Amino acid sequence: MEIRRLPGALIPLRITFARGLHRGWGLKVLLFVLECALGIIGVVLAAALAHWFEWLLPVAVLIYLAIVVPTALLCGFWQAVIVSLSAVVAQSVITARQPGLNAAADPANTITLVAFVLASLVISRLSASVNRNAREAESRGEQMRDLYEFTRRTLAMNLHIEPGQQLVELVHEIFALEAVVIFDADLHQTYQAGFWIQDPQELAQNVYYFETADDDPVTGIGRRVLRLGNVPIGSLVVRGETSPLTNNAIASLIATTFDRYRAFANESQIETERRTEQLRATVLDSLAHAYKTPLTAIRAASTGLGEMGRLSAAQAELVALIDEQAGVLNELTTRLLTTSRLDAGEVAVNAEPVGVRSLIDEVVNSLKDRLASMKVSIQIEDEELELSCDRQLMVALLTQYIDNACKYSIFGTTITIAVAGAGAETIFSVHSLGPEIPPADRERIFDRYYRSSTSSHSATGTGIGLAVAKRAAQMHGGHVWVSSSDADGTTFFAAIPTPVLQRS
Amino acid sequence: MSQPEIRILLVDDESAIRRALRPPLTELGFEVVEAIRGEEALQLLRASSFDAVLLDINMPGIGGIETLRRIRAFAPRLPVLMLTVRDAEDEKIKALDEGADDYITKPFSVRELIARIRATVRRVRAPARAEDAPIEIGDIRLSPAQKRVTRRGQPVHLTRKEYGILHCLMSHAGRPVSNAELLTTVWGAEYREEVEYLRTFVRQLRKKIEDEPSSPAYLLTDVYVGYRFVDAEMLKEQAEGADHAGDDPFEVLHREQVD
Repeated sequence: MEIRRLPGALIPLRITFARGLHRGWGLKVLLFVLECALGIIGVVLAAALAHWFEWLLPVAVLIYLAIVVPTALLCGFWQAVIVSLSAVVAQSVITARQPGLNAAADPANTITLVAFVLASLVISRLSASVNRNAREAESRGEQMRDLYEFTRRTLAMNLHIEPGQQLVELVHEIFALEAVVIFDADLHQTYQAGFWIQDPQELAQNVYYFETADDDPVTGIGRRVLRLGNVPIGSLVVRGETSPLTNNAIASLIATTFDRYRAFANESQIETERRTEQLRATVLDSLAHAYKTPLTAIRAASTGLGEMGRLSAAQAELVALIDEQAGVLNELTTRLLTTSRLDAGEVAVNAEPVGVRSLIDEVVNSLKDRLASMKVSIQIEDEELELSCDRQLMVALLTQYIDNACKYSIFGTTITIAVAGAGAETIFSVHSLGPEIPPADRERIFDRYYRSSTSSHSATGTGIGLAVAKRAAQMHGGHVWVSSSDADGTTFFAAIPTPVLQRS
Repeated sequence: MSQPEIRILLVDDESAIRRALRPPLTELGFEVVEAIRGEEALQLLRASSFDAVLLDINMPGIGGIETLRRIRAFAPRLPVLMLTVRDAEDEKIKALDEGADDYITKPFSVRELIARIRATVRRVRAPARAEDAPIEIGDIRLSPAQKRVTRRGQPVHLTRKEYGILHCLMSHAGRPVSNAELLTTVWGAEYREEVEYLRTFVRQLRKKIEDEPSSPAYLLTDVYVGYRFVDAEMLKEQAEGADHAGDDPFEVLHREQVD
């Protein structure tokens, strides 16, 4: 086969020879000899006939040609050459009765030989090219089928586990390659199948790092960089019979599969996080409910003692303390309940018109005790302003802000609560003087359970309050942020959309 | 203890709550009988008479709501006060729909509880008011015969719906009226979901009858549940500075801390 494909070329011959050694070489030689023998018999018969009937040379040559051409067409160049040689020898020996040794010296014989050889060459080349085209068409069809199969199998692949090993085995199996190696740069993993003489890991990584993409027909090795868009994400090296186009297609399919795997893994992680959050919300919910009964009993007992009277001043003081602390516990559990429900998305905004003034007054009034040691300044731009919002959620938000300001401000300084319109939003702000919140913490303090490094050892807190504030604002379509510096103090902001009618 | 003794049936599966409530209630002039479950409560109610029932909503067995339904089947006018928790607004509404007179949110103070019990009992014991008799609470006077409302003697001009809301609330003064009940009474059953309507009208109404519409003294909101008009006693307590109108336990809590 190789002889037909590359006539006259010695290197492929040697390769053929070398490969032939372990591919039924004896059979091929036998076939070769048989073909030549058949041709020679034909030639000798023709020569004998020519001699018998005393045909003219042109007639004899035509008959020889009729034998050489099919030989070239069907068997190959070298067989045709041998048959041609035998024709020349037969012609000179039998017909011309010239001694064999002198035959070569006859210029007519030489020309005839050259003519025969040329004819064989042209014909065998033509034939080989036709054959090759047919074979290529066939193999292209096969490769298309393989690619289709590969695509189908990658789509059906289990993406719960890393796809590298599955892919490498699929490529190896479907395209019947000698060896395959895939390098996933993201995980820094190499996957291989088949037998590699060199270190496949190094081979694949080099392709990735030097971004080489080529096909070596001598060694049958194809190298590709796996890319998503323009970004290299790994590499593919194959050895075996494929075409550059097929290699390209395999490479992009592998890259796409890696991408799908990452997207899938990401999605399942988000899903897992969501479930964890839901579970936590449920646990917090039941915990908070479980606290309500003992709290009810404590509160009923302490307020009952107070109502029954007959307590000394000191006793009344202690009873009041029990009641007060039960209240603190209750507030904590309620906050937990609120966050867990906000997080689980169970709370709906119960929007109603809420006067800003009354809202602020309510919160400040409820925090009277805490604010006793501070100066409070309230600045409301529009006293008549009414927002469409959930009163409870807004109370929770502002309570948290003011409570926070009390906790982290310098004793005796002023806490400024302001409400101002800004475009389509109403901005609530609570300003206090206290230590700066490090820039790195400013986003994260709104996350649940996060407590600033500066706050964790200086004040009591649960680290859930600001998360409530954030969610409360978000549920109104608003947002929260904080600005902080040592010189100007800290201001917590909450922007809530203003109803259209109220905008001036 | 100027009032005659009030006989209460306390139904709660939590012994801690029963133990905590019994001594102060007894001391403050109530006779307390305890029941652990709804089934037991029903037996006791059939066997003897009570002035009021304190009924926990969340109980094993038939539960508070079903117990209430069965009580209403044979005692339509017996005052029933439900014990609920915050965030259980659906239960509160359901309880009101089933005929509960009021509800109180755990954890509550004994003072608030007693005020609610007395108010409920008082409402039930009050002589039946003639349909057309004028209702006067604080500065507000409503005369059903003329469909007239005055405030400190001055006529207040109300639209028909506003009047309807006010009439419904004032004739049940002291009792929470659920949004659905108000909407059904004033607009009709097909409007029972249109809470937004109600909010708008209540807002207008407050502007006409309240001194400070943003912090109302008469027409109070029961968050998520409905509205209630104060009764004379609640108004008196308000004036004394002991405000128990709010249903937010924290509001009450904070105010008591301030006291």
